[in-house]
Amino acid sequence: MTVSLWTLARGESGAIDHFDECLPEAYRLRLLELGFHPGESVRCVQAPALGAPRVYQVANVTFSLDDDIAGCVHVVQVHDD
Amino acid sequence: MTESRPNPKALLIGSPNCGKTLLFNRLTGLQHRVANFPGITVEIARGHMSGLDDVTLYDYPGTYSLKAISGEERVAVEQFEAALEDPELGVVLCLVDVTRLEKSLYLALQVTRECARAGKPVLILANMIDVLERHDIHLDLDGLAAEIGAPVIPVSARAGTGLDTLRERVRQEFASPQLPRRSGDEDDVLLRGTSHQLARKYGPKGDVLLKSQHRLDDFFLHSAFGGVAFFVVMYLLFQSIFTWSAPAMDAVEAGLAWLSDQVVPLFGYQLARDFTADALFSGLGAFLVFVPQIFVLTFVIGLLEDSGYMARAAVLCHRPLRFFGLTGKSFIPMLSGVACAIPGIYAARSIDSPRRRFLTYLAIPLMPCSARLPVYTLLIAAFIPSGTALGGLVGWQGLAMFLVYFFGMFSGLIVTAVVSRWGSTREADLPFVLEMPAYRLPSLSPLLRRSWQRCQHFITKAGGIIISVTVIVWLLGYFPNYGEDLGASWLGQLGRIIEPVFAPMGLDWRYGVAILTSFLAREVFVGTLGVMFGIEGADENMVPLVAQIQSSDLGIASGVALLVFFAIALMCVSTLAILSREAGSYRLAVRMFLAYCAMAYVAALLAYHLVGLFGA
Ligand SMILES: Nc1nc2c(ncn2[C@@H]2O[C@H](COP(=O)(O)OP(=O)(O)OP(=O)(O)O)[C@@H](O)[C@H]2O)c(=O)[nH]1
Ligand SMILES: [Mg+2]
Repeated sequence: MTVSLWTLARGESGAIDHFDECLPEAYRLRLLELGFHPGESVRCVQAPALGAPRVYQVANVTFSLDDDIAGCVHVVQVHDD
Repeated sequence: MTESRPNPKALLIGSPNCGKTLLFNRLTGLQHRVANFPGITVEIARGHMSGLDDVTLYDYPGTYSLKAISGEERVAVEQFEAALEDPELGVVLCLVDVTRLEKSLYLALQVTRECARAGKPVLILANMIDVLERHDIHLDLDGLAAEIGAPVIPVSARAGTGLDTLRERVRQEFASPQLPRRSGDEDDVLLRGTSHQLARKYGPKGDVLLKSQHRLDDFFLHSAFGGVAFFVVMYLLFQSIFTWSAPAMDAVEAGLAWLSDQVVPLFGYQLARDFTADALFSGLGAFLVFVPQIFVLTFVIGLLEDSGYMARAAVLCHRPLRFFGLTGKSFIPMLSGVACAIPGIYAARSIDSPRRRFLTYLAIPLMPCSARLPVYTLLIAAFIPSGTALGGLVGWQGLAMFLVYFFGMFSGLIVTAVVSRWGSTREADLPFVLEMPAYRLPSLSPLLRRSWQRCQHFITKAGGIIISVTVIVWLLGYFPNYGEDLGASWLGQLGRIIEPVFAPMGLDWRYGVAILTSFLAREVFVGTLGVMFGIEGADENMVPLVAQIQSSDLGIASGVALLVFFAIALMCVSTLAILSREAGSYRLAVRMFLAYCAMAYVAALLAYHLVGLFGA
């Protein structure tokens, strides 16, 4: 079962599964270029209040994504201990 | 350098915020804008490499790949592709951020492939090596070089390490014979996979580099503290303009008064004495007083930009700005607009959605730019008491400044909110993706140099206009009756024609003339008033302009009306010119000019009556 990246709470991680159709092609490629590869683990490191874009960490880099884009990235939630 | 290349060129390309411009500045001795935020450079800059004087180095805007999304990326990619066909181009320098290999390597591989196809040598520069050294991390750069198929040179643009090696390598590349073109048939999908693997294999392991960033983000992006911190930072920014620069402004004022007392009596003729005192010292001096403020403003904004906080502010502002039709990425252009609208308009290039970029253009001229600062400062000093409250923490004048600034920004947002709902073409929202830079301690000396440069620019750009205007205003105001009666002078006669326009706000003809001249440049307002009060004052001791305004019978309602007028009116020729250029049509600029001037007038009138109602 996959969930969207946006549903991850602060501190939770997921492994990227696939990108939704709703994501414009240019941005799908851009995410791949930035390191959001299928299988790669992504962690939600900050989730500020009021629906502000959240901060996600992939490998050594952090990016902030809003719901429009994070909602189109599907991940398999990883429960780390 | 070699016979085949009379004008040898080298170019600097890389992902956003990896340190290209800082390195460029180091290598050329120039002072282009460096800030800890992706998408700062939007135009190609060039300069001569020190130590290799015949080589011209080009600094490119950052791009994550050769498939551009935003405006400045397009500039980089198109120019790069064109440059590869240029026989004078001798070497491509591709910068990567070694602390964040995964965001840099894909472009580096693409650049290496394109260079192979074009027969150009490429050097990969592993920048920010100082950060790794500080954390005692060692990377196998030789291994990486072997896999990429290009030399990798460790450098630090900040610490200046590796630059001699770099110059030596560049020299060698120019001396060696041209490379044959190769096929370079790896496609983008393959390169993406490779870059991912290489980043994993050679990049820094673990979380060490991000630990402190996470800790600071825990605070600055905290649901409650984050918002509070944002307002505190913004408030300190405005307070600093007023309080930190006050001693320096007083010093400049006192220095000018002293100089005037020394110089003016040296002249034998009354006419020459009047001219020096009124046109030069009152007019020009009134404007030189504000140089320290411009310095502090540029410096404090620079501190914020270099610290990495701006990206966090952009994240926090994204939602609220979206309500007004903008995006979090509008925040930097708008805040740059606080220093000057022109860099703000350029910075808007990094906004990928054309519609939101257009809306950002609408908001920028309403940001309280530094040319408005002298006008605000003068009026606030004349009308607002200088006391403090809360044990010296809050100065009334600082608070008033904050409110005027806030008023300008808020008007900008209202305009974009209205226009964004008006337009029928509601394009689909483009997603918001922003790399979060590491927090860094700002490096002071480049910032100080930049702030000084801004002041010089302020003095030379505005100075020319101000000298001409003050001289003309002085001539018109002094003759035909030799300064005996300003009201009866040519200027006075002219003023009577404009008087009816501003009379409804309780402003007499002198303010009308000052406003009229300020359409050349806002700062001229202060100089023109200085000259006119100087002629009227008639004595040879300089009385500060503030005191003269206070003793003229201008009511607070008129003062507020003036503040409101200046907050909204778009009176800057250069802004209009740049707007026409960036928007690709002069129509937008003309419309904005007319609309904002009309709006300024109406709002000022309203403010005058509102303040009047509340019994002031
Ligand atoms: N510690 C460290 N910081 C660096 C180094 N090089 C650059 N920086 C910092 O990185 C930030 C970005 O530098 P810039 O030179 O503006 O980067 P850029 O690649 O030109 O960025 P864009 O023009 O936005 O693409 C600034 O805060 C620099 O001070 C370095 O070698 N070490
Ligand atoms: Mg740059």
